[in-house]
Amino acid sequence: MKPWWFRLGRYARPQAAGLAGVAALMLAGVALETLRPWPMKWIMDGVLAERPLPVAASAWLARLPAADTPPGRLAWLAALTVALYAALQTVRTLQAYVQSGIGLRMVFDLGADLFEHLQRLSLSFHGRRRAGDLLRRVTTDTGCVRDLVLWVYLLAASSLASLGAMLAVMWRLDRGLAALALAVAPALGLLIRRFARPLTDRSARQQQLEAEIMALAEQTLTLLPLVQSYAREPAETRRFRRLSRRTVQAYLANIGAQLRFKIGTGALTALGTAALTALGGWRVLQGRLTPGELWVFLSYLAALYAPMETLAYLSMGYATARASARRVFEILDAQADVRDAPDAVPLPVVAGRRPARVQFERVTFGYEPGRPALREVSLDVAPGETVALVGPTGAGKSTLVSLIPRFYDPQAGVVRWNGTDVRRLRLAELRGAIALVLQEAWLLPLTVAENIAYGRPDADRAAIERAARLAQADEFIRRLPQGYETVLGERGVTLSGGQRQRLAIARALLREAAVLILDEPTSALDAATEAAVMAGLAALQRDCTTFVIAHRLSTVRRATRIAVLDGGRIVEVGTHEALLAAGGLYSRLHLQPPGSAERPPAATGAEEQTART
Amino acid sequence: MRKYRRLIGYALRERRTLLTILGLTAAFPLLAAVQPWPLKILFDSGLGGRPLPPAAARWAAAAGLRPGPAGMIALAAAAGLAVFALQSALDAAITWAWSAAGQRMVYALAADLFRRLQRLSLLFHSRRTVGDSLSRLTGDAWCMHTVAEGLLIAPLQQTLTLAVVGAAAWSLDPPLAALALAVAPALGAAAWFFGGRLKRRARASREAQSRLMSFVHQTLGALPAVHAFGAERRTRREFRQLARHATAAAQRQTAARSAYGMVNGLLTTIGLAALTYAGGRRVLAGELPLGSLLVLLGYLRSLQSAAQGLLGLHGTLRSVEASVDRVLEVLDAPEEVADPPQPRALPSPVRGHVRLEGVVFGYEPGRPVLRGIDLDVRPGETLALVGPTGAGKSTLAALVPRLFDPWAGCVRLDGIDVRELRLAELRAQVALLLQDPFLLPLSVARNIAYGRPAATRREIEAAAQAAGVDEFIRRLPQGYDTVLGERGAALSGGERQRLAIARALLKNAPVLILDEPTAALDPATETLVLEAIGRLMAGRTTFLIAHRLSTARRAQRIAVLDGGRLAQLGTPAELAAADGIFARLLAAAGEGRP
Repeated sequence: MKPWWFRLGRYARPQAAGLAGVAALMLAGVALETLRPWPMKWIMDGVLAERPLPVAASAWLARLPAADTPPGRLAWLAALTVALYAALQTVRTLQAYVQSGIGLRMVFDLGADLFEHLQRLSLSFHGRRRAGDLLRRVTTDTGCVRDLVLWVYLLAASSLASLGAMLAVMWRLDRGLAALALAVAPALGLLIRRFARPLTDRSARQQQLEAEIMALAEQTLTLLPLVQSYAREPAETRRFRRLSRRTVQAYLANIGAQLRFKIGTGALTALGTAALTALGGWRVLQGRLTPGELWVFLSYLAALYAPMETLAYLSMGYATARASARRVFEILDAQADVRDAPDAVPLPVVAGRRPARVQFERVTFGYEPGRPALREVSLDVAPGETVALVGPTGAGKSTLVSLIPRFYDPQAGVVRWNGTDVRRLRLAELRGAIALVLQEAWLLPLTVAENIAYGRPDADRAAIERAARLAQADEFIRRLPQGYETVLGERGVTLSGGQRQRLAIARALLREAAVLILDEPTSALDAATEAAVMAGLAALQRDCTTFVIAHRLSTVRRATRIAVLDGGRIVEVGTHEALLAAGGLYSRLHLQPPGSAERPPAATGAEEQTART
Repeated sequence: MRKYRRLIGYALRERRTLLTILGLTAAFPLLAAVQPWPLKILFDSGLGGRPLPPAAARWAAAAGLRPGPAGMIALAAAAGLAVFALQSALDAAITWAWSAAGQRMVYALAADLFRRLQRLSLLFHSRRTVGDSLSRLTGDAWCMHTVAEGLLIAPLQQTLTLAVVGAAAWSLDPPLAALALAVAPALGAAAWFFGGRLKRRARASREAQSRLMSFVHQTLGALPAVHAFGAERRTRREFRQLARHATAAAQRQTAARSAYGMVNGLLTTIGLAALTYAGGRRVLAGELPLGSLLVLLGYLRSLQSAAQGLLGLHGTLRSVEASVDRVLEVLDAPEEVADPPQPRALPSPVRGHVRLEGVVFGYEPGRPVLRGIDLDVRPGETLALVGPTGAGKSTLAALVPRLFDPWAGCVRLDGIDVRELRLAELRAQVALLLQDPFLLPLSVARNIAYGRPAATRREIEAAAQAAGVDEFIRRLPQGYDTVLGERGAALSGGERQRLAIARALLKNAPVLILDEPTAALDPATETLVLEAIGRLMAGRTTFLIAHRLSTARRAQRIAVLDGGRLAQLGTPAELAAADGIFARLLAAAGEGRP
């Protein structure tokens, strides 16, 4: 595997032109910065002390009007100061502008990749992760690419360039003094080595605590109904404060280390300046250096330590970027356990027929190793058939149907679509041919119309409304403030459970699918509404192979066949009448009037119940 | 200005640290006034052959020194070192104190925001995304830092610097000092001009980023739908589009900020050039030593940065105003559901007598969901709420623990209007079992003990047994200490619901609200659980929301809701016999009496 900084380079490449521009601006800035103390030097030496100006400066001044008198030259040199500064500012402004755009584009490119990958990862991956943590990786940690390219690489280049330029000029003015100025570098190096490690560790700790705070806040706000009804607000606030306190402590430890480092570098700088002042002054007295040159030295020295300090902090920036990058790549490297096979084939279609044949062949699957939820399940469903899945809670009904759109892949056995292993099909096509209504409605904060058209964004309004009518949702939608254009709250709070479910059904209806999966689609509906919705679904079922998980007799009875699951196995398959006659688990299951109150639990004799039908 | 007062309150909690900081900052201008003097000694006395400045001469004399030129250079170097050492010590002390105080302020504010966000009713949150609230909490709260510095520390420091350094410059050369101060008004004008722009663009940029974050949050939250409908490519496109907007907004902000910096810098440099020119002429004329000019140039830098800081405060504050607004919007949101100023105490023991009187409520103005409901539920009674989907059953039940407050009418617990009770006390009396079980990423045991963290393991296990989930938990890898995935992904719907039931059982409240808790269970399990709940319901006032009419028939009385009104009320037998909605519902469900 290539190193992380190399992999991040991929995101810098599209910005190459912009980065080249930034580098050019940066170099121009360094040059202007190096020139900055010179007008003052010329004033001190050439105007005030009447020493001859350097050739370049005097040639430039000779061409200007009124530059032959000292006040005239003074005026021009003062103007040069302004011009230099204005140029420097312009260059820096441009650089900041271009750089911020480049930085964000790189960050968002990485973010988009990460986001896309996260969506591709299966639900079993997401079941193990906190949404807040993943969110932080997409929105915050992706900053690592900007930090690395702009705040490590570019900053290092710019610091080195300005160090080099200033040292070169100093070297030409006076080697001894230049050497003295440089002498501080090894000491600074030692200091960096001494402090870099603890600084990195401390900032990592601080970041980790900040992430924990974010996760706590995210989790609490998401589960607010629960938090409120259990009056847990004070407890959560206490947790928040405790985490905050620890974060502040970590932050202060971090700042403390930074300060010690800063004082160390500061002391070195001060010593360097003092030594240079003394030695430089001595040289001026000896006549080996002009006061103006000493001025240039002192100005450079003040400017020299900034890039040195920057270099000192680079290792920290690098470490931060590496920590974030690791979190990003951890996700990007998580193999999508459910993904397109390299030799994926198009969806097999039987001409002139929409519904697909779905076969389960000795399918075994579990959410955790060693705890299979399905054990060697085999089931062959003919095109257009409606199969009802029944069985006790935890029997594996929802798990079985979620293998068809490959929310998970089985650990053993095969699921086939018109005869082809679903793992050899293109995921997008496979899922495109399936319509689902899950227990949870999963509405998005879009308009009602957009929610219904979620599986078919190009559907026109007439089609959307037809689907809504079939799902018995049209009437209540029209009563909403903006009708079909009403935007739903994040959790669709303003809709009741039944209304949400009917929207989800409309969404499935709109999708012209080959396989329809209904996972207790009507559990939140009253009997009358359910009957109407089921009538709407019946229209759809004619053109689909349908799997329906349900407890209600009325729903189950409509199925062509019924598969009874228990403990992850299919224990019985057959029609309603055949299963009743067999007197197995099915006869005990459904014949019990749902939730009949005054009766003892399910263990009572099956005969008696059979008799009551 | 008034809105900053709220925030300053947080700063004042740190007043001791702040006073220290103020004391330290007061020393800053003095150092700024002394700072360029070593240069003057170097150039005028060491190199220019002039006598030492009086103060330095006095010190040298006191130390018994009569330095020659080389000595004066050494003196300049030593003085420079001393000034630098003082400055960095001061700087370090202030940074340290300020980080400590600043962080504590920010987190105090964030903690209040967090508490506030939790207390705001679900109505408030239904209008906002979690991502948006999060970014207020973790991002916008940092405005506290800027506000405290901008209002409390910076003005004093900058004003003192202007005064002290200005006076020092004046004593050197009044006309040149006046020239140095002349740039200030222009800098102020720039600050005013750019302030508003900066604010607007900062806000636009933050909003664009917040939209992006919300989008990611929602998409990850609704992942099953995204997968099922193959919307991955679409969401990626949308991500890119939102990211483009965010980039553009951030760049516009950078542009404004850079332009502001550039104008400032230009004005500063013009001041510098003017001073160099005017001062240089005086040096040429022999009216001013070169060293004094250098000192004045040093002062100019201090004066300009102080003036810029002072006048830029306006802009700085305005740039965080967007964040301040977003923070205050939460802090000032009327707590639709709040503790009363003088809460009444519930009589002990709580009997659980719930009365609704003329209750009207809706989620949006002008669209009432409940239109005048009167209900009296006796202590220990089980009342089933029945009615077509959307009739307002869940809404009605949610009014009892005050998840919302009614528009009109009132809800009473044991005769006391629930709005007169402390929220925590009220909610401790009501156990709620919702359609969505909402499990937390904690261990199974801690999930069950969520409403009573002090519960012993034995109590937890007893609750789990009563909910019929003990056996299942024991089969988990770490039993009761198994940590659940965020959405309880490894559990089936029935298992999750039963955990939630155990949690509600452990809370042991006199009022029980069951909002279709068994909708996700198969009939066999449902019966088991209902039996368990039945044992627990004994002696408790229970609201039972159920679509299965057979479940509703367990209740002593049934209230039929239709269109936000109470259509029927009576015992199951009465309602089944009467000609009304209930009988029609029975017929539709095929559950009518034979």
